[in-house]
Amino acid sequence: MERFLLKNIDSPDSAGIGEYLRTGGYASLKKAFGMEPADIIAEVKAAGLRGRGGAGFPTGMKWDFASRDPKFPKYLICNADEGEPGTFKDRPILEKNPHLLIEGMVISAYALKSERGYIYLRGEYPHARAVLDKAIAEAYEAGFLGGDVAGSGFRFDLSVHQGAGAYICGEETALIDSIEGRRGQPRIKPPFPVNVGAWGKPTVVNNVETLANIPLIVSMGAGRYSEIGNPECPGPKLFSVSCCVERPGVYELPMGIPLREIIYEHAGGVRGGRELKAVIPGGISTPVLTPDVLDCPMDFVNLPKRGSMLGSGAVMVFDDTVCLVRVCWRAMRFFEHESCGKCTPCREGTGWMRNILERMEGGFGRDGDIELLQDIARSIMGKTFCPLGDGAAGVVLGFLRNFSDEFMYHITNKKCLAESG
Amino acid sequence: MIKVTIDGRDVELEHPVTVLEAARKAGIEIPTLCYFEGLSPFGGCRLCLVEVEKLPKLQTSCTLMTADGMVVRTETEQIRAARRSMLEFLLINHPLDCPYCDKAGECELQDLVARYGPEAGRFAEGKRRHPESFDDPIIVRNMERCVLCTRCIRMCSELQASYSISVTGRGSHSFVEPFSGGRYDCEYCGNCLTVCPVGAIMSRLHRHSYRPWFVEKETETVCGFCGVGCSMVLQMRENSIIRAIPRRGVGFNEGLLCARGRFGYEYVEGGEELTTPLMRVDGELRQVSWEEALSFTARRLGEIRDEFGGGAVGAVASGRCTNEDNYMLQKLMRFVIGSNNIDSAARNYYAPAQIYLERIFGQGITANLIPGIANSDGVFVAGGDPTAINPILGLKIRAVWRSGGRVVVLGVPGGLKRFVPYELIPVPYSEEIVLSAIVGRLLERKPPGGANAALEAKLRDLRIPSDDELGSTGVSPEDVARVSEDLSSMSTPVVVIGPDMVQRRRASKSLFLLGAIAYLTNARIFLLADRPNYQGLLDMGCLPELLPGGRPVELEMFRHKAEEALGMKVPEQRGLNLFEMIDGAESGRLKALYVMGENPVFNLPDGVRVEKALGSLDLLVVQDVHLTETARLADVVLPATAWPEKEGTYTNLERRLQRVRKARRGKMASYGREDWRILADIAGRLGMTKTYQRVEDVWEEVMHVSALHTGLGYEEMDGGRALWPYYGEPLRGMEGDFTVEGLDGLPEVPAPERPYLMIERPLYHSGTFSRRSKALLAIQPGPYLKMNPELARRHGLTGGDKARISNGRGVLELEVRLDDDMPDNQVHVANTFEGFAAMRLAGFGTDPVTGALYMDDNTVRVEKVLR
Amino acid sequence: MDIMDEIRDLSRKYPDRRGALLPALYVVQKEAGWLSQEALDTVSRALNLPQATVKGVATFYAMYKHRPMGRHLIQLCTNVACMIMGAERLVDLISGRYGLEPGGTTDDGRFSLVIMECIGACDRAPAMLVDTDFHADLTADNIFEILEKYE
Ligand SMILES: Cc1cc2nc3c(=O)[nH]c(=O)nc-3n(C[C@H](O)[C@H](O)[C@H](O)COP(=O)(O)O)c2cc1C
Ligand code: SF4
Ligand code: SF4
Ligand code: SF4
Ligand code: FES
Repeated sequence: MERFLLKNIDSPDSAGIGEYLRTGGYASLKKAFGMEPADIIAEVKAAGLRGRGGAGFPTGMKWDFASRDPKFPKYLICNADEGEPGTFKDRPILEKNPHLLIEGMVISAYALKSERGYIYLRGEYPHARAVLDKAIAEAYEAGFLGGDVAGSGFRFDLSVHQGAGAYICGEETALIDSIEGRRGQPRIKPPFPVNVGAWGKPTVVNNVETLANIPLIVSMGAGRYSEIGNPECPGPKLFSVSCCVERPGVYELPMGIPLREIIYEHAGGVRGGRELKAVIPGGISTPVLTPDVLDCPMDFVNLPKRGSMLGSGAVMVFDDTVCLVRVCWRAMRFFEHESCGKCTPCREGTGWMRNILERMEGGFGRDGDIELLQDIARSIMGKTFCPLGDGAAGVVLGFLRNFSDEFMYHITNKKCLAESG
Repeated sequence: MIKVTIDGRDVELEHPVTVLEAARKAGIEIPTLCYFEGLSPFGGCRLCLVEVEKLPKLQTSCTLMTADGMVVRTETEQIRAARRSMLEFLLINHPLDCPYCDKAGECELQDLVARYGPEAGRFAEGKRRHPESFDDPIIVRNMERCVLCTRCIRMCSELQASYSISVTGRGSHSFVEPFSGGRYDCEYCGNCLTVCPVGAIMSRLHRHSYRPWFVEKETETVCGFCGVGCSMVLQMRENSIIRAIPRRGVGFNEGLLCARGRFGYEYVEGGEELTTPLMRVDGELRQVSWEEALSFTARRLGEIRDEFGGGAVGAVASGRCTNEDNYMLQKLMRFVIGSNNIDSAARNYYAPAQIYLERIFGQGITANLIPGIANSDGVFVAGGDPTAINPILGLKIRAVWRSGGRVVVLGVPGGLKRFVPYELIPVPYSEEIVLSAIVGRLLERKPPGGANAALEAKLRDLRIPSDDELGSTGVSPEDVARVSEDLSSMSTPVVVIGPDMVQRRRASKSLFLLGAIAYLTNARIFLLADRPNYQGLLDMGCLPELLPGGRPVELEMFRHKAEEALGMKVPEQRGLNLFEMIDGAESGRLKALYVMGENPVFNLPDGVRVEKALGSLDLLVVQDVHLTETARLADVVLPATAWPEKEGTYTNLERRLQRVRKARRGKMASYGREDWRILADIAGRLGMTKTYQRVEDVWEEVMHVSALHTGLGYEEMDGGRALWPYYGEPLRGMEGDFTVEGLDGLPEVPAPERPYLMIERPLYHSGTFSRRSKALLAIQPGPYLKMNPELARRHGLTGGDKARISNGRGVLELEVRLDDDMPDNQVHVANTFEGFAAMRLAGFGTDPVTGALYMDDNTVRVEKVLR
Repeated sequence: MDIMDEIRDLSRKYPDRRGALLPALYVVQKEAGWLSQEALDTVSRALNLPQATVKGVATFYAMYKHRPMGRHLIQLCTNVACMIMGAERLVDLISGRYGLEPGGTTDDGRFSLVIMECIGACDRAPAMLVDTDFHADLTADNIFEILEKYE
């Protein structure tokens, strides 16, 4: 497939504005200024773009809500927190194609009548920080940011706000708290950020990849754009493929591509030709699947039918040497570490589950542990303040649904099925 | 109208409220933990989950707003299971050391588990450990017990607005901490303790000595520390106060208290040094019987009256004593002895300010409600820090800020520092110029409407300073413009007046200007009161010129009414005020002084002179709870009962009448007596025929004598209902008759080389009483000299050094405390610690128009004490 | 520019001073590698925010340090992908060679070791950040070659 989002990234100067302009960059921006803001929103709606940050919310609809709110100023925030384990898809845009993101943000801001934008960049990406700062400076220099963007009279200021190591700040309301200089904990919804967001003002939070799609929609038009991939949720999609494959990496592929193709054609298959045991399709928070779902199209509509989610499109492939109890334990350690502490079930439940998994993994599993784990996870599920806790519960339930034998084996034999197999 | 169905019951709502509130309204109980009425919703504990039709997931009822047609269920198996799970989660890291925990018995978690919890926990892993912290003298923190409901944090930031604690860390390693991680650097209101549902933060004062079931008796009463008059509940055991707590729904303070109110109650346990009446025999105070003391006192008072006339006797009333006590002192003086020489330490500022403002606007001008402050959109504060003098009133000012209003402070903002958009600190004694400039600007922006002709006539004569003339004040013309702009943009403003605006030369002018600001902006006026019953003693007639009900004694009509009511005579001429009495004692004109519940040696300026003056009296009677500095000079000392040991009423600064209730038998039951009873006894010995059995009898008489208090029985005072003007008749027709000194001039602003000594009014201490509280002493153990680091540097001083301040009137040695927020032309010392009476060093005069005290010639030499 | 001004300058990017809190914490952390009470107090004064608020925020985020750190901060990811690709072995190796437990600092103050959650380098796992330098495809063979460059 033709690459749109990662166009050019193989060139050594891909991050520079010169290279970006040479290959047609900022042309969409100019085109956009010839359109009415409302028309751009309509175009994004028509294109059927769904957010790439995980939840898959229709972007045009979100913009519509924000633009209908009479309050000003409005804020546009790019979510570059990319904290979901297994996910590294935004990174090539941030590090190698930053002007695409900037162009996408300026167009979005114009459509939303926002004059101020922030890129909320995770603290763990210091290199991306340097690249973005430079690209923003270049864009100011070239007149694509600032008081009079490209001579249109439109004003837009943009800067990077760097996170400091908190996965929860990827959740949009926690992210807003974090930009405001608070402990990044999710806020009560409603009101939603599109009405009461940063500093109480209408705020749109979009993922890096989502915003990078905007120039494409503007240049191609909604009609052509929606022909890419699954027409129900079209567009190009970045997949980060990792763990036990020959060629881990980020792949730009049409939405809805079957999982099998991603793993076997693009990522070179399971490493060393080993047997595929399990796949997490959308980052650690999405439930694990067995190889019998390999033909499932990778998109927002089909994965839920198979008991998981597209999430951030982070495909984690496990072969038969991997101990899934250990994976599950490590995932739970992550959730315990990242739980913001606001709500009871997540704060207390993640630690409890990690404790049990740790025992189990270390050969001290007890009878009834599996039932207990399931019960704890069900007690959490659906009762947490934000999706992080649900995610943690879903992970455990996913592993126990599909791989309870392996967990059972661990308890009875006090060792690993993977090692013994 | 919103209609919702909860558990099959239809609930109709005027306004959208949360599902939880709607359910409670309908009498349906939903368990909660992080929810706390009056604090913002949090939604963290997840106990209040309910089912809502058409919504796929369970919803937290504390955060979900009702919508028309909503159908809610609160008791289903799914919900019960969820509650069990949440409680099980809360318990996994909870130490379950309930037998050792002081909270047991009133722990919300314990109660919730008993009612909704699982039969048994299934957690079989190691619990999180976190050592208990005893770093703070007042607050013990046990974070193993914390359920992270953040009620304390929201209390501290939303209502107390102190922002002194925070959740630190993340996830299950979150803890509630002050900045230091150990000792608190906060206002010690203890309001966080009230809202903590578990035993995670508790008062150290009753560690292991308090259990809810120890409480034998609870008494609802009113705090005895300041003029706000917060309601509180005293919890008693074995005739001892074990705890003072606020309670929501009791009093207008709505569950809040300040440090003095909550932790200062302990002083009543002191006072052991005064166990019987004392009489001076051969120059020394000796213990004597009540009979001996009373008959001596009555005899000597009678002799002096007979020999020199009633005018040779004076009395000092008390802002700590009840209305009944003060009324009786007034009766003894005016009607029995025949002297109008009665005044109190309210003379310092409260009384003259109040009377003067009433002369401008009429009686009751400051009778405004404290809770109402929070609804205003702007506050102008001048002359003192409300968050220290009247803390709960101060919180309402912070609330104005929180809801987007403006707070402007003239002077050092103190506890309002975080809430003011800019500082406005005039050079001492230039306030009058700044106020005139503000009024000048306001007149341009808001021409007066004609309602108060007298005031407007005087405004026309007001000399408005030019920009150049502002030069000496340290406040720029731009600042003045800003203030006036802010003031005129407020639609429901409040003007708060504190002591420092009154204790100046030409107090009449400052008060007039503040009154004018209030008038021009249509503001409500509040007058800060640092004693619980200053207003009450005024209304009881403890003033040289006013009878009970605030009626001028010199007007025959009023005098007659009073004489008729009591069948006794009153002298026609106004009496001496407090300072005139001191002068009179010095000159020998005044022979006897009766001091009730006051400590003039300590609380009046130029203490050396006061001491000398009192020493030259023929008779000094002191009636008090403690053996104060003044009592030590007395000829007779009569032990009185303390605040929790008596019944009566206080009138707060809103002029609300509230009952003070007796919580315990007098610790000194055998010897201490209620003030009014002692006074009535002496009056009886001097010829008064009327007798009183109970305090109600005294109040009966007040209702009869005072036109303000007609028909206002004790039963009318419950629930804070006794609001101005009660059923009484406010004094009308006297307003508008006032003079202002120096309207057409501007003062010279002195520029002394030495810094001024200013009296600080701190949060933790208020003087004679607070310095006996163990808790308040633990928070602030002693006096200090507060100064700006730059000023300190100029004197070779730094924080913690010992400094000597001195002038012709005395010397004090104090520890230096640096404070960036202080101007560099003054040092502050609180007048609260024995042996460190800052007032002694202050020079003073009496304002001829208002009779207020003004500070004068109070610069001090500052030196480092070398060790 | 003194540090107070630098912090106040940051707040120009935000509609209120508080917005600059996270960047301000980075600024003061740069000075000593960690956030002492004094450092937090500096931020509190520069932005006119309550001290407790500053502390609450600073301790929420894992990348602000509240203890002195070594001259170089090894931030090694051990999340699932890195774990599968051998990160835990590297932790053992580093611990063995420098006597450095996760969360600890070497006696000579050269290194501190912090275990990271996913740092977004799963395609080149295991990976780490040393100070702000990114290193990936780590193996038992190259790890010390890399670390030894940090004095
Ligand atoms: C725990 C949690 C973590 C999240 N992390 C990220 C993230 O790192 N990046 C991201 O773009 N969205 C993340 N999201 C989703 C955001 O809340 C939000 O939906 C998204 O930024 C919206 O942008 P989009 O509509 O463009 O996807 C996260 C959500 C949750 C609940
Ligand atoms: S589920 Fe609750 S504790 Fe967990 S991250 Fe979300 S709000 Fe915080
Ligand atoms: S005592 Fe008052 S000021 Fe201190 S932490 Fe508690 S609520 Fe805050
Ligand atoms: S200390 Fe008490 S009030 Fe504060 S969060 Fe913990 S349990 Fe809640
Ligand atoms: S009371 Fe509703 S979540 Fe705590």
